[in-house]
Amino acid sequence: MKVGQLSRKELRSRLSSENGLRVKFGPFIVRIQSFLPSLVDPLHRLYVFYALADDDIAEFHVQIVPKRSPRRPFTPLLQFLVDGQAPFPAAPVHQALTMLEWGINLAIAVRVNHFLLFHCAAVERNGHVLLLPAWPGSGKTTLCAALIHHGYRLFSDEFGLLELQSGHLFPLPRLMPLKNQAIDAIRNFLPEATLGPEIHGTLKGTVAHVRPPEASINREDESAAPRWIVFPKWIANQPLQLEEMPRSEAFLLLASNAFNYEVLGQSAFDAVTSLIQRCECRKLVYSDFGSVLAALNELTDG
Amino acid sequence: MVDQVDRRNPSAHHQLLLQALRDPRSIHDIGNQDWELLLRLARRARLLGFLAVELEHAALLDNIPMRVANHLRSGLIQARKFQQLARWELDRILWALGEDRAPIIVLKGMAYLLAGLPHAAGRVFADLDLLVPAETLQQTESILLANGWQHHELSAYDEHYYRTWSHEIPALIHCERETEVDIHHSLTSPIGRLKLETAPFRETAVRLPGLEVSVLSPPDMALHCAVNLFQNNELADDIRHLLDLHGMLQFFSADQPLFLDNLITRANHQGVGRPLFYGLYFSKLLLQTPVPDTLMTRIERRPGWLALKVMQLCVPLALLPLHPDLPCRSAKFARWWLYWRSHWLRMPLHILLPHLAYKFYLSVFPHKAVNTSSDGITVKTK
Repeated sequence: MKVGQLSRKELRSRLSSENGLRVKFGPFIVRIQSFLPSLVDPLHRLYVFYALADDDIAEFHVQIVPKRSPRRPFTPLLQFLVDGQAPFPAAPVHQALTMLEWGINLAIAVRVNHFLLFHCAAVERNGHVLLLPAWPGSGKTTLCAALIHHGYRLFSDEFGLLELQSGHLFPLPRLMPLKNQAIDAIRNFLPEATLGPEIHGTLKGTVAHVRPPEASINREDESAAPRWIVFPKWIANQPLQLEEMPRSEAFLLLASNAFNYEVLGQSAFDAVTSLIQRCECRKLVYSDFGSVLAALNELTDG
Repeated sequence: MVDQVDRRNPSAHHQLLLQALRDPRSIHDIGNQDWELLLRLARRARLLGFLAVELEHAALLDNIPMRVANHLRSGLIQARKFQQLARWELDRILWALGEDRAPIIVLKGMAYLLAGLPHAAGRVFADLDLLVPAETLQQTESILLANGWQHHELSAYDEHYYRTWSHEIPALIHCERETEVDIHHSLTSPIGRLKLETAPFRETAVRLPGLEVSVLSPPDMALHCAVNLFQNNELADDIRHLLDLHGMLQFFSADQPLFLDNLITRANHQGVGRPLFYGLYFSKLLLQTPVPDTLMTRIERRPGWLALKVMQLCVPLALLPLHPDLPCRSAKFARWWLYWRSHWLRMPLHILLPHLAYKFYLSVFPHKAVNTSSDGITVKTK
């Protein structure tokens, strides 16, 4: 059963019930609880394709609860809780959705060591995974949003989940937070994309979430082998460049960009070594979606 | 989904966790709801790594639900990383202090690991605890400060607290790493109600073969664990410390049939019968450690029946994690009471009341914590 099969009322009553809304995101199951009415509409629209997981074991238990600060007694605030603990400070009520999404990502990043967690976007084309590692602000979410509406299957815009034994990547198709100018860029380029409400004044400015395509979520249990690693960088008015990247450089960038590389130690080193050896590594500079799509299509057709 | 654990009984979830800790083999066929609850309880009690090791030993880690096994393994990987970092920190400290350093005794988690206690294999410990002779404390601290270790920025009050009233100095952290090093000069607070002579503990410490450090002798290690738990700690979610004691009692008794006798003799001699009594009593009660009643009566300074009754009601509610979905007023009260008790044992009333008032003030205005720092206290190497 999908979240979309619930009416708004049912969704609301699940969110405020003791069992919560139990949603499957790729390999993880998250139990979400909140009494906040304003969270119901965006979740009803953006979570519509996710599967409900009522009988399986949930690994993350999160809540959005009201909070009063003694120093700001008249400002209604919300607190994100994971297993009853607050990992970051309270925020204004209109930021509930960004808080929820960010909080779940944080919980995954902190707790999961049975995958090597790369900080990168990942998409699949022709049966193989294209990894897009990049620093925050380099436009990986934006590029990823463009790709998944043009024939690429979304794995994730934030996490590359590498299973160490198989060397396969696993999908974790979560909502994709566009920031600031990227919101209008995607609205213009992809009128068909479904976006959540614009949320102003977050730590990262204005945020709007892109809903992952239904097909990507339906296939969220299908892993695939990685084949291409492309380090993207958006620079205004630059002609497209897609160049070979030395493997040693790719190794360092990828490893230093992972959430749990140090914790996993030797096994992470071995996994990244083998990943880099199996993949084509490229450096990408782009300024417009049309040319970058053509270049990446050519790469992934090869 | 309603938990199969009886919801009317506010501590039914405790039985689930205790069953898993006492006999991991007995839980492999519990239902999904119980697994989910157990995973949350074990995470709160910081016992994911412990359970992973125990289930692995029983060859069950591949036969339990995969989601649970994944998170237990993730916890174990994290625990092993902490252990590796602490080992490296110890290595760096020994290097910095040089060949002619004063004798160092490793305490708590790292000591259990070095002593090869089986229970320590998946144990989480974020800091490294070392005991040095009080007379060399200043020298040890200044050598470490000169070699890149630093104190957190502390308020003048916290600085005073550590320097005058505590059995350890403020934590040291190397500027390139994250492991906190706690340097102790004594095993109990100098202003606490129970004062432990450190010299006898130092005299019988055991030098570890192949290492340049010592750990406390087996009876002293168990005594220190009990004293630390029932004298220094506030007990909330501290079941893993009781599990340490339980593991030690079993491990040392297997080699030395008279271990418990010696332990009690030692405790009586050092005047710490009461914390040992509580340690053995609750280890027996919760983890079913085999301790004969005849031995319990040999312990001196046992608590009176009223004190024992109150502890009997409160300690399990505090040591074991709260149910993550069911608020429990009696557990909150028990924890509140034990919090007061721990402070009461640690400091006399004329220090305690201003201390708690200051802590309350900081809980309302957390940003005030460091602003009052007087200059020259915090040493930072740039």
